[in-house]
Amino acid sequence: MGPFDPSAAAAAAAAAAAAASSSSSSSCSGGSAPKRHHHHHHHHPPPDLDGLLAGAGYKVRSSELHHVAQRLERLETALVNSAAHIPHLASDAVHYNPSDLASWVDSMLSELPSSSFSSPCLPSGFPDPYSPAAAALGGGWVDHPSCSPHPQPHQNVVVPQQPQPQQQQQLTVVTALEEDSGIQLVHALMTCAESVQRGDASLAGSLVEEMRALLTRVDTSRGIGKVAGYFIDALGRRLLGLGSAPASAFENEVLYHHFYEACPYLKFAHFTANQAILEAFDGHDCVHVIDFNLMHGLQWPALIQALALRPRGPPLLRLTGIGPPSPDGRDVLREIGLRLAELARSVNVRFAFRGVAASRLEDVKPWMLQVSPKEAVAVNSIMQLHRLLGSDPPRDPPIGSVLPWIRSLNPKIMTVAEQEANHNRPGFLDRFTEALYYYSTLFDSLEAACPVQPDKALAEMYLQREICNIVGCEGAARVERHEPLDRWRARLGRAGFRPLHLGSNAFKQASMLLTLFSTEGYSVEENEGCLTLCWHSRPLIAASAWQAAPTVVNSPAGVINHDDNNNQLSCSPVPMLSIETDIPSSIQ
Amino acid sequence: MAGSNGVGLSESKMVVPLNMWVLISNFKLKYNLLRRPDGTFDRHLAEFLDRKVPANANPVDGIFSFDVIIDRTMNLLCRIYRPAFTEEPQPSLIDLEKPVDAEFVPVIVFFHGGSFAHSSANSAIYDTLCRRLVGICKAIVVSVNYRRAPENRYPCAYDDGWLALKWVSSRSWLQSKIDSKVHIFLAGDSSGGNIVHSVALRAAEAEIEVSGNILLNPMFGGEERTESEKKLDGKYFVGIRERDWYWRAFLPEGENRDHPACNPFGPRGKSLEGIKFPKSLVVVAGLDLIQDWQLAYAKGLEKAGQEVKLLFLEQATIGFYLLPNNNHFYTVMNEISSFVNPNGK
Repeated sequence: MGPFDPSAAAAAAAAAAAAASSSSSSSCSGGSAPKRHHHHHHHHPPPDLDGLLAGAGYKVRSSELHHVAQRLERLETALVNSAAHIPHLASDAVHYNPSDLASWVDSMLSELPSSSFSSPCLPSGFPDPYSPAAAALGGGWVDHPSCSPHPQPHQNVVVPQQPQPQQQQQLTVVTALEEDSGIQLVHALMTCAESVQRGDASLAGSLVEEMRALLTRVDTSRGIGKVAGYFIDALGRRLLGLGSAPASAFENEVLYHHFYEACPYLKFAHFTANQAILEAFDGHDCVHVIDFNLMHGLQWPALIQALALRPRGPPLLRLTGIGPPSPDGRDVLREIGLRLAELARSVNVRFAFRGVAASRLEDVKPWMLQVSPKEAVAVNSIMQLHRLLGSDPPRDPPIGSVLPWIRSLNPKIMTVAEQEANHNRPGFLDRFTEALYYYSTLFDSLEAACPVQPDKALAEMYLQREICNIVGCEGAARVERHEPLDRWRARLGRAGFRPLHLGSNAFKQASMLLTLFSTEGYSVEENEGCLTLCWHSRPLIAASAWQAAPTVVNSPAGVINHDDNNNQLSCSPVPMLSIETDIPSSIQ
Repeated sequence: MAGSNGVGLSESKMVVPLNMWVLISNFKLKYNLLRRPDGTFDRHLAEFLDRKVPANANPVDGIFSFDVIIDRTMNLLCRIYRPAFTEEPQPSLIDLEKPVDAEFVPVIVFFHGGSFAHSSANSAIYDTLCRRLVGICKAIVVSVNYRRAPENRYPCAYDDGWLALKWVSSRSWLQSKIDSKVHIFLAGDSSGGNIVHSVALRAAEAEIEVSGNILLNPMFGGEERTESEKKLDGKYFVGIRERDWYWRAFLPEGENRDHPACNPFGPRGKSLEGIKFPKSLVVVAGLDLIQDWQLAYAKGLEKAGQEVKLLFLEQATIGFYLLPNNNHFYTVMNEISSFVNPNGK
């Protein structure tokens, strides 16, 4: 931050004025401020962020600094003049993305009636902030001589360069390492993984044997001993070329269900997604949820009930559930659909279900979903997108074709929950290390939360499957390719999505959900519009919401131009109870 | 409209760089929303607004960090910051607690500020500050995630601080090679500075050796309204009423500000004479409205025959140490570095 010259200041002031008029139009109207939809754009971070504020967790452009300061001052004055506004801002107003300080202060200002401002809203008439006259008026900020932005030559303190606001390689460890044999085990695990990476199969093999022996001397009922056991097994399987143990869809569902019961991770994901979907569906009479992994439909009763309680009545709800084909002539999807339909009927929500059976998400084509132009669409993906990141070369990972068709549906919202970890690094040792830390934390939380059996044991098996896949498989078989929020942001941004920020209301409700779990240690954190569920400061699951960013050209066939602004759509008549299932392979 | 002088916006603007003003004003406004008149605190909104960063075992600018649960029953977490090892590019799980390699390494047990109610060890501002301390002082920093008011009143924060001190002093991997002892310094800003005093007192009574105390704008007070409080009320980001609110939130219900936790050298204070108390570095900002209490603290130590160095920074406001774009920051960091490395570095 060097000294400013008058022309730069003028340019900054002009930019500030322009920004102010575009973002705070509601506070300039004569009457009360109209209700704003606070879903802000997330621009790719501009390069001229103030580096020191970034280190404090705030993203403010240097060029905007003065503007933000003026807005803060205005807000403060308004609150001083009328302290009655404070409870409103605290309890009623919804806060979004606090890292974006400029939009936060603007949204606070827009919550206040314009009568709180004793001055015109445009900052015209402000003197040049950097002139001595301005200092005398007290109207601006001055580079005070004692506050030099650069270190003085006589100082022998060298401040390390600002850490990058976005870490490229985050590795978060929460530990409570105690015994020595645990340390030995971890050392052996790392050495083994390193030898696997080098291709030294015989060393790796003998290390696996050594570690199995070490395990007998370690407490395998908890902590590092327990997790180590799974990693050792996974390494063993990898060396034998066995990959993951094959699992039936039924087995997967059972394990999933117990994992759901044993700990809050899936519930958090469902709950947060439902909140966002509910908000996105506000004002729409025909809504369509597409669930990328129906399982037992555990997410949907809560949404159905919430829709039933809508002040202006429930919409017509269509649910399309995607899941694997059922063996033995059963139609599991249909059964789930029937159960949900029962529930919907009991609370007077008009409901239609369609099942789409597909072994892999990439086999689903948009036309199978039968999206209608008049409905608001929510695409819901709980721990599914990462499965699309792998492929057997030379094929490209299917994510490249799936994201575009999702976007072509022009969904009102896409809710995404993913493991907050980088288990998709190309280097095996990196992946292994990350996974070891991640699952240690996850198992630690299972331990501490003391869920009942058999939930706990089966939940652990559920996680063991993931470990086995990450460590034991490659190519298309390795489906557990978890990536952290920053990578998903970039990827979804490139695919034409922009974030819908989850706000303080969603945060508060998720936090309150956690208090239902008597174990202390869980917390929710806000991360630039997304919410993460943490165990002891380590984020483990990230929930986010997205919508299609506007484009110039309409996408091709199957696309349907949604008229977002028309809330008064009438729906074509649909029977009260409609259950259909499709099996893609039979329809060509 | 110039900032109406009644709220003192104009004074604070004159003495801090623009981004510092933005940062501290931002906290002031947000904190205003969190304190309820009935003494309760909007913890959900506070946690939502607080900017946090995860630990990072991959070194950034030569420093890595990791979190440790030092007590499961209390759920007490600490974040540990260490200089990166030169030999290996990336620490593995075991290397995190690799024994210290140097002859002498100061271990700074740090208590973040926030008037007992705000912030956490993983708050971005404090994560950044601790990293700077490691770099400048060539120290290991252990930042304690103590329980906060009003949900957890006195003496919870002190108990957590004491637990952390005991844990640190018993880690063999933190021992300096020269004498196989852990050389502990207690440091903290605002409420953290207040915690430093209490923990040091307890350490002295339990005969655990603490090499020094560093108090940055420490939070003290009393029933009396001092000159500085009257003169500076509302002028530089802070006002008396809000100070009162935080004391009501921290002190046991029904207590007043002459409680020794708030006013250690006041009418109900305890004499430190004859106690083997660590040497203290007390940093006072000349534009902090509670400076009279801080100066009284330093004086109280002096009168009790304890070693104390007072650093009075005339034009500094609260929070000056959060950003390295002012002279005060460098002055203080130099002092702290000398304080913890007495053999000259």
